[in-house]
Amino acid sequence: MRRASLGVACLFLIAACGSGGGGGTQSATPKHGGTATIALESELRTLDPLDSSLLVEREVFYNMYDSLFTIDPSLTIKAGLVKSWDVTDPTSYKFTLRSGVKYHDGTSFNAQSVKDNITRYKTSAGSRRKSDLKSVTSVEVVDDTHVTFHLTKPDATLLATLVDRAGMMLSMDAVQKGGQNFSLAPTGAGSGPFEFVEWKRNDHLTLKRNAGYWRSGLPYLDGVTYKAIPDVNAIVAALKTGDIDIARTIAAKDVAGIKADSGFIYRDTPALGFNGFELNAGAAPFNDPAKRKAVATAIDRYAILKNINFNIGVVGYGPIPPSSWAFDPSEKVYDHADAAAAKSAATGFTFTYKTTSDPVNQQLAQLIQSELAAAGITMKIQTEEFATYQQECQSHHFEACGVSWSGRIDPDGNTYAWWHTGGDFNDSLYSNSQVDGWLDDARTNTNQAQRKQDYANAQKQIVSDAPYVFTVFGVSAQISSNKVQGFTLYPDLMIRMAEVWKS
Amino acid sequence: MTTYVLRRLMLMLPVAFLVTVGVFMLIRLTPGDPALILLGEDRSPQAIADIHKQLGLDKPIYVQYGIWLGRMAHGDFGRSITTHQPVSTAITERLPATLELGIVALLWSLIVAIPLGTIAAVRRGSALDYLASGITVAGVSVPNFFIGVVLIFVLSVSLRLFPFGGYIPFAQDPIESLRHVVLPAIALGTAGAAINMRFTRSSMIEVLNNDYVRTAWAKGASWRRVVFIHALKNALIPVVTVVGLQIGGIIEGAVVTETVFTWPGVGRLAVESIGDRDYTIVQGIVLLAAFSYMFANLLVDLVYGWLDPRISYA
Repeated sequence: MRRASLGVACLFLIAACGSGGGGGTQSATPKHGGTATIALESELRTLDPLDSSLLVEREVFYNMYDSLFTIDPSLTIKAGLVKSWDVTDPTSYKFTLRSGVKYHDGTSFNAQSVKDNITRYKTSAGSRRKSDLKSVTSVEVVDDTHVTFHLTKPDATLLATLVDRAGMMLSMDAVQKGGQNFSLAPTGAGSGPFEFVEWKRNDHLTLKRNAGYWRSGLPYLDGVTYKAIPDVNAIVAALKTGDIDIARTIAAKDVAGIKADSGFIYRDTPALGFNGFELNAGAAPFNDPAKRKAVATAIDRYAILKNINFNIGVVGYGPIPPSSWAFDPSEKVYDHADAAAAKSAATGFTFTYKTTSDPVNQQLAQLIQSELAAAGITMKIQTEEFATYQQECQSHHFEACGVSWSGRIDPDGNTYAWWHTGGDFNDSLYSNSQVDGWLDDARTNTNQAQRKQDYANAQKQIVSDAPYVFTVFGVSAQISSNKVQGFTLYPDLMIRMAEVWKS
Repeated sequence: MTTYVLRRLMLMLPVAFLVTVGVFMLIRLTPGDPALILLGEDRSPQAIADIHKQLGLDKPIYVQYGIWLGRMAHGDFGRSITTHQPVSTAITERLPATLELGIVALLWSLIVAIPLGTIAAVRRGSALDYLASGITVAGVSVPNFFIGVVLIFVLSVSLRLFPFGGYIPFAQDPIESLRHVVLPAIALGTAGAAINMRFTRSSMIEVLNNDYVRTAWAKGASWRRVVFIHALKNALIPVVTVVGLQIGGIIEGAVVTETVFTWPGVGRLAVESIGDRDYTIVQGIVLLAAFSYMFANLLVDLVYGWLDPRISYA
């Protein structure tokens, strides 16, 4: 998903932590039948995991395709199409595959299929999965139900990577049959709980029940329809008129009203991402660390949480959120706003903050502006159209840039690309050899306790150096009509429909 | 007549050429990179370079333009950068929804405008005339997205009289289709209704002062005959000009309305494609819009001849 719209999703639109409970399921006797309509906040571009880059696409994929691995609501890696695994040699992972799984087109899932899928992701011209699978040199077919992944060097993030699109298995027959139009109509390609029926862009995407799903008895629903509704106010209107049953994002201002309405269910759980803004350490004024610290010290995170997020979520201190095993609750380098401390670090300078025209982003920018003014720092707000803003931040043409991150299951995804020297998302041009060392070790070390220490060290240094000012941790939410049952919330924002039913 | 039409069609070619240059250059001069949009959170320098190469964006701009023009000469408008769908398919799939919305909006504007404009002209200076003027000012001043939001809130969310958004093809279920089109059509057609009413009124007033109308009155013709048979047809010539431009403008008018009502038409496709920097789709839609303007103008000129036989196409 795009990073700014993501900011909107995680930071502003979704609702409160702790209210309505975490990742539990409701209890009642499930029944088969019926269909559900789900709102997507933007239209999809592709139905092929190979070239997907949007969060809404993954949301659909998880119901159509199976991954080699999956997660539970506490983010523990669980068996997916891989039944069991052996990682005693950190450069060759041995996987035992589930047998008897069939794709929707009737072809069998097996070891050769795993090899073909990984090869396709690694070598196809338009593949966006190449960097996900960079550490994988080859996939060896041992027999029909056993494969070995050979790696260039140990990769502690691989299993988490194979939960997502790089681990989604597709029928190669269906891919070939689909040809150039495969990404628009992947008929028969998945093995997940629902099968692709049709996609009418800008109108609807329909899936039907996979009667031969390997998790017996599932799914409960006969079908799922997705509708792209890009306006958050329109999503609330569609929930109220009954045009949709389930939504993932509504405006924070509407949450209280939905919670008070007995016709709806609202739930949330801490999400994976972080929110805040980048400071460009590669150019004036923020090549001066004291000025970055002054900004980080002068920000009132509690005011942002209250006024912009309507107290939905929690104050954010660093890149690793409470949903992660690597979360360090003791890390609070910058907590409450301290104008005096900020002034003693640096004051009297001016900088420009880039953001998009989204009304909530505008309100956030104005709030930050007023908070900094109290510390004698002048912030100018520059509003850009999304694609322009995105290009300028990526190419380091900014002083400060409001950007958020949807988050990844493994903490590597929330840190390495952002603050390792030369990282793909290191827009701030931050570089610290110690941080690089910790992040490198955490990436290759398979001992979780040591990794956790690496992340704690790296996080403390990054937060203290302030190439990014963290503000709020968002939530993963689900808003539905009270007829929707059996829903399990996951921190990764994905709506998984296999166990959902309608009363 | 045939010669006239052919000549007009030939004159369209240089205009079309300028439009292709304009749209091709403008969208590329706009900041933003389709590769960044495509990659989102998966961006890396290598992936960006791969996409630039794949889309031919690494070539000089005039080479890219030449390739595009060459392909169009063979009827190939290319494929969407974001969805890989052929541009022609992407547009034609959404055209019926836009046309249905545009036609109903236009009918709504005429049904409101012509009777009200005529009455306002005949009863000039009366309370009814002032009321009609008031409605006109409001209709032109209030933007269609605001009308749309108010309609959704009152008639759809509160009173639940009409469905909110969405499109059902007319052939699939005519009644449901009309129920769905009513609100967006009113939102889209109201400004046009106000303008058309203004034109009908002023043109009618002018025609009613003509000698031939006075003669008709003097001959003792009924007011219905004078107004509707003698005056209205001639009074409609300026209205036809405006309506013609409105037909040409269906696509651009639909841009905002389709977004508000999640209407799966060409207008919404245009908005999304500009945001996504989907160059090929934007180029296709702008060309279509330009051609619909040109053809609508031609049509207007031909209708003049039918309305007023004094106009000839020699």
